[in-house]
Amino acid sequence: MGRVDRKEQILQQAGYAYSFDRMIYFNRKSKKAFSVEFVEDHSEEELQRSISEEAKGEHWHFYFNSPPSEGVKSELESVLG
Amino acid sequence: MMEKRTIEDRLREEYFQLLPDIRRVAEHVETEVRFCLLPISGTLHKYERLVVSSRVKDCESALDSLRRRQEGATFDRDQATLYTLTSLNDLAGVRVLAFPRNRLTEVDRALRDRFPAWQADPVPGFDESDSPLAFKYHGYCQASAQVRGEFQIVSMLTGLFWQVEHSAIYKPDPRLRGVARSLVMQQRTREVLDTLRAFEEEFENLLRRDPFIIHSISDHSPE
Repeated sequence: MGRVDRKEQILQQAGYAYSFDRMIYFNRKSKKAFSVEFVEDHSEEELQRSISEEAKGEHWHFYFNSPPSEGVKSELESVLG
Repeated sequence: MMEKRTIEDRLREEYFQLLPDIRRVAEHVETEVRFCLLPISGTLHKYERLVVSSRVKDCESALDSLRRRQEGATFDRDQATLYTLTSLNDLAGVRVLAFPRNRLTEVDRALRDRFPAWQADPVPGFDESDSPLAFKYHGYCQASAQVRGEFQIVSMLTGLFWQVEHSAIYKPDPRLRGVARSLVMQQRTREVLDTLRAFEEEFENLLRRDPFIIHSISDHSPE
């Protein structure tokens, strides 16, 4: 199994789905979203660590290489529900 | 009350203002590429192919492409003026397909000499150690001061696979472009491209090992 397959498996097992329109992996239950760029540029261990981090508050938590602006966050939150 | 214009509305307007320039750039670059490759096309064996084609990116694909360049594929509505289609390198694109692969370097050298100021931007392989999937360059030509052109040199089987993938899947709905970036689709794409490369390399090996084939083919060339 290749590196990308393993990362996909880690995300799937943690309940993340892929949005091909926004190119993010998201989990509505934990309110977390990972950009494809973040997943590609970080190791499996870092990905696993970020998945395990406890999400605080009601808002979505975005794992991006460059932190998204408030405008982008709010648009993504409205799409993700 | 009139609804506020969206970023997409503004970009659509920009697209149609740029369209005459985009068409001129595509035509100009294609003509220069064809002219530059004439000495090579004239010496091809019957089994070898060099195909040059150009395309103008359509409006919705251009908008989608710009949106996908943002992490999270989302425009920032508060920063609407940041976005312009002139930041795309491939509004006007030319593709050179070569078969077999050993013609790629020759074509690349000829075009680099013809467009010395253009920026190299190769399509990388899947691993750092892999050779690029395609040579790619972008820059300005005499046809326009605001629209950049791009040309790409790629092995014929890889290029045809990209064309089929584009027409069958992404052309009908540009939003499906994001499917290709999913990790598991990247892996499958890699498997297809590795197989196509192995096929081309084996073809070249067989020709190299049997000089009789080359001579008998040469007897019938050039086409």
